[in-house]
Amino acid sequence: MRVATDIGGTFTDLVYVDDQGEIGVAKCPTTPPHFEQGMIDVIEASGVDRRSIETFIHGSTVIINALTERKGVKTGLITTKGFRDVLEIARGNRPDLFNIRYAKPAPFVPRYLRLEVTERLNYLGEIVEPLDGEQVRQAVEQFRREGVEAIAVCYLHAYANPVHEQETVAIIKRLWPEVFVTASHEVTNEWREYERTNTTVLNSYVKPTAASYIDRLQEKLQASGVDSRNYIMQSNGGTTSFNQAKEAPINMVESGPVAGVYGAAVLGQIIGETNLIAFDIGGTTAKCSLIDKGEVKITTDYYIERTKHSAGYPIKVPVVDIVEIGNGGGSIAWIDEAGSLKVGPQSAGALPGPVAYGLGGTEPTTTDANLLIGRLAARNFGYRVDLSRVEHAIQSKVAGRFGMSVEEAALGIIRIADSNMLNALKLVSVRKGYDPRDFTLVAFGGGGPMHAPILARELGVKKVIVPTASSVFSAWGMLMTDLRRDYIQTYIKRLGDLDTGELTRVWQSIETQALRQYEAEGIAPGDIMLARFVDMRYVGQEHTVKVPAPGGEWEGSTLSELVERFHSLHEQMYTFKLEQAEAEIVNLHVTAFGKVKKPVLKKLDPRERSREAALIERRPVYYEGEGWVETEVYDRTGLAPGTGIEGPAIIEEKSTSTVLHPGQKLVVDEYGNLIIHTGVK
Amino acid sequence: MTQTKVDPFSLEIVKDSLVAIGDEMFYTLGRTSMSPIIYEVLDYACGLTDAKGQLLTQGHGVAGFIGMLSFMVRDVLEKFRDKLHPGDVIIINDPYSGGGSHLSDVGLVMPIFYEGEIVAFSANKAHWTEVGGKDPGSFTNDATEIFQEGLQFPCIKLFDVGVINQALVDLIQANVRFPDLSLGDMWAQVAALRTGERRFYELCERHGKEVVLASIDHLLAHGEQIARKELAALPKGTYEAVDYIDSDGMGNGPFRIQVKVTITDEKFICDFRGSHPQVLGPINCSYTSLVTDVRTIFLAITNPSQDINDGVFRPLEVITDPGLIFSAQRPAPTSNYWESGSAGGDLVWKALAPVLPHRLTAGHFLSVCAVTLSGKHHVTGEPFLIVEPSVGGWGAGEGMDGARGQFCIGDGETYNMPVEIAETRYGVMVDEYSLRCDGAGAGEYIGGSGVVRSYRALSDNQTVTVTFGRHKFLPWGVRGGEAGSPNEFYVEKANGEIDGPFGIYPRYPLNKGDVVKLVTATGGGYGHPFDRPADKVALDAKNGFISIEQAERKFGVIVNPATYEVLAETAERRGYRSRQEERTANE
Repeated sequence: MRVATDIGGTFTDLVYVDDQGEIGVAKCPTTPPHFEQGMIDVIEASGVDRRSIETFIHGSTVIINALTERKGVKTGLITTKGFRDVLEIARGNRPDLFNIRYAKPAPFVPRYLRLEVTERLNYLGEIVEPLDGEQVRQAVEQFRREGVEAIAVCYLHAYANPVHEQETVAIIKRLWPEVFVTASHEVTNEWREYERTNTTVLNSYVKPTAASYIDRLQEKLQASGVDSRNYIMQSNGGTTSFNQAKEAPINMVESGPVAGVYGAAVLGQIIGETNLIAFDIGGTTAKCSLIDKGEVKITTDYYIERTKHSAGYPIKVPVVDIVEIGNGGGSIAWIDEAGSLKVGPQSAGALPGPVAYGLGGTEPTTTDANLLIGRLAARNFGYRVDLSRVEHAIQSKVAGRFGMSVEEAALGIIRIADSNMLNALKLVSVRKGYDPRDFTLVAFGGGGPMHAPILARELGVKKVIVPTASSVFSAWGMLMTDLRRDYIQTYIKRLGDLDTGELTRVWQSIETQALRQYEAEGIAPGDIMLARFVDMRYVGQEHTVKVPAPGGEWEGSTLSELVERFHSLHEQMYTFKLEQAEAEIVNLHVTAFGKVKKPVLKKLDPRERSREAALIERRPVYYEGEGWVETEVYDRTGLAPGTGIEGPAIIEEKSTSTVLHPGQKLVVDEYGNLIIHTGVK
Repeated sequence: MTQTKVDPFSLEIVKDSLVAIGDEMFYTLGRTSMSPIIYEVLDYACGLTDAKGQLLTQGHGVAGFIGMLSFMVRDVLEKFRDKLHPGDVIIINDPYSGGGSHLSDVGLVMPIFYEGEIVAFSANKAHWTEVGGKDPGSFTNDATEIFQEGLQFPCIKLFDVGVINQALVDLIQANVRFPDLSLGDMWAQVAALRTGERRFYELCERHGKEVVLASIDHLLAHGEQIARKELAALPKGTYEAVDYIDSDGMGNGPFRIQVKVTITDEKFICDFRGSHPQVLGPINCSYTSLVTDVRTIFLAITNPSQDINDGVFRPLEVITDPGLIFSAQRPAPTSNYWESGSAGGDLVWKALAPVLPHRLTAGHFLSVCAVTLSGKHHVTGEPFLIVEPSVGGWGAGEGMDGARGQFCIGDGETYNMPVEIAETRYGVMVDEYSLRCDGAGAGEYIGGSGVVRSYRALSDNQTVTVTFGRHKFLPWGVRGGEAGSPNEFYVEKANGEIDGPFGIYPRYPLNKGDVVKLVTATGGGYGHPFDRPADKVALDAKNGFISIEQAERKFGVIVNPATYEVLAETAERRGYRSRQEERTANE
């Protein structure tokens, strides 16, 4: 049996799939600061036989929380002489252009804990000045005196040659074996010293937190009788072993959210859709990500705490490319000083939550608006809903201000929220040169199924899928993951100067490293799958295009094939190509998957299900351009495969509803997924 | 007005879509550019105006272009009137009229047609690495006439009904030093214009022309309302400031400049009359450029975080006489226009800083601190050209120390060049990139450190041109805070000889092993240094921002040099503190 648990801010979710392909879910409150307890609780609640758990996959927000709450440890940094302030100068940018009181993000290591040693490489990775080991020793002494618990080492051009970093780590480990250490080449091999230094520092900063968390998790699991192979969900959409996660915990930074995107890709595989947009609406944010020909997009252009008004902190590790905006079910509707209606990014959160929860919330939210116009049913909330309060909030805060009816105001809130989300969806699709008509939207999270059908129509997407288990879809995605590692190596070469023999050797050395690491973890060579990519650009450009590249030995014809692909991808993304201009390679990227056995999904049993029995009620729902329309409401669990429904209709399930608009059609597929035809031709 | 017919949410949705279009144009240009000055420094802006040339939305990376797009479009309207057609693109860089800044900033404008009439303009402006002229990189420290500064594009058609003017392209090709870069950037600009055109067209298709045009009115009115609301909350009165611009780079200067700011219920008036006339060297700016810099401070004062459109600036009035250093006329050179433009904005900032502590800080390093370094790569032998602004120290403010190592007010979402990339591309090695910890800008809140960046030449016959303003007149302190330090640079020759400090210097020759050490200013302090808590002073010393000696002399705190613990406070500090306490008690 495979079990996945996902620790979120409010709930810890569990999804399992047994050897017959039967899926089960459970939910328990998250239990900070002893998160492992909530996980044991949810295993208990799920009723699974602990001894039958063979594979245990875990996603957690513990790393991102330690970073954003500044709960890591006192960290010291060692740099090349002359460069200890790189961490503080950063890139010098000021995104909040007109704010003279802009507060530059403070470095995670204060200046007195940033120490320099004599050593220097040039850009070719050649040693210009040897490492002065004595200075390393002095730095270690000083860190001990200051009570440092973790050390980061980042030298210039270490991506080209890690030798000085390796020597430094060896000295530190000899002098102080118990201290946590990270050298930059262990977490990223891309150029740009600030980004690499910051990534290294943040890894060290959370390393002790991660180690004690994972150790406690393991102990708890063992103590409760679980004897499984254990994996951690990483930001790249794959998993890794507990031990590896302790070495490079920074790879867990987006552990939870990416699993949903990966899940969408897997679901697509099962039902034969390879071009997908994963769309997840939660309580405070909406997230989307594009999957092109079955491939989840990975980027190392990732930041935490970056907003329109703050530079944030870069983390150069592979992360699924997700666009996230501050619009979710709990987002608050408000009117700005010049009288414009806005929705979000402020959220009512879980407490007090929307007005509908009756827990003291007074500000109208998207959820309240959805309730008021009949898209959500009061009985489907876990709370006693006082509809008159919701009406009062929308009347006094919005409708009254514009002199309109309360349902018009509620629809206005939803339209503004939809408009925000539509911009995010455009960002991952049309703005990157993709035609939405070639894509299918996979909608999940509490709000996804409610907003997706109309948004898809606006965007020009023909089909929407609301998967089974859509409210715990991230955990479902984890069940389906493989082991994954990404090796990204900066390798600056113009195609004209390229020696294909040398390049083949570099590819092979990266791939050998990948194979060895997996074999050491007991993965059979036949289960290891490698994929190559090259980050390329025209000479003189900065930004690169990720180009899928052929495996095996490279020769002249491989290069022409590569260049062809590059030109056409560049044209797709940026509207033009420069066939006369020279192209160059910036990074080599190898993705290594360790394939694991996954159960076959079970098809839905049609017996005891029918459209008639699933009909709950008819109730009025307010639609844009239509007004109140009497709408049939169905219980999703009662719908048999093959059932077709025409809009307007509402399909309710635990913690979410699918809203089918007039002119849209829906079919339940053999697995129980809802397939919606949006009306786009 | 059509506004009454359209529901408020549609207006809102179209308005947000317009803003998103500006962002997308900006993104398109940045991602496709070939030049570091564009993709790293983000020295460009993209936007849409309405049919009359009023700015609707702008995606921008630097503050220095706010407002210039509308001046360009108005120039196009004036010159071509009814002779514009779908598919036209106009090119313009004339600094005295619509172009606004210097010849290096090349503007493109495209009319957007819908149902046979112009409904909007798509426009952008980007710093080309090369536009020809007497020096590599085109902008220069010792031009005395605009003719030395490069090609002038006097508002002419680059595309006529969708057909490119190949003669013009050939002319550019022949007259610039790195034609691939310049023309590559031109194509990136065209791609961004087309993106804007396509998206605006789609918006009209989706919502109807009438709704879109009504939303435009709504957008401009919304901007104006927010600005007026903020204006109402400002203290009314007249505020004055005087300062000096160091030099014109030709040995002349300093030049006295002044402003009188009048804030009324309706208007925010900045009167620069009485400032120095235009000068021989290329540090003059045009009126457009001055307006841009004043707009930046106006936004900082009224509402730093709002979306930008022309409605916002309706209450603002900028007054000069013609022919001042702030309103130069042909053929005055304007290569380094930002030196005077920023100084104009800084005057308004300085005049108001004491009364608006919640929005303004003490003075910062101010100058773009531009560096142009050229030569041959030591390994590949290929020619290289670095054109980059520098980071420096910002002023302290109420409740905050100044930011350390950050781009100046005229820049913004600008990125410094990573050392590893610089060493790969250019024939240099960077010896040091660190904070300048000189202890200047002392105060209750301390000024932010400038930086030291040292380039070691790895081949012979390199040339560096440095343009550092605020070399003699320092970043100013506020409310008893100390002034900061100067921007300056030195050349440390391979033979041990040291030359400098300098502020502005054209074409300093460097040979293999010579180091140019670029040092930017520390910002001004805020409040009296004796009011800085002793333990904070000790931590400053431990971090090396100030020396033990400065802790005692400037802050009155005696710190143990081994443990960095506070040992005692000086009699002077104690006396000051007790007088302060008495005063507070009496109040």
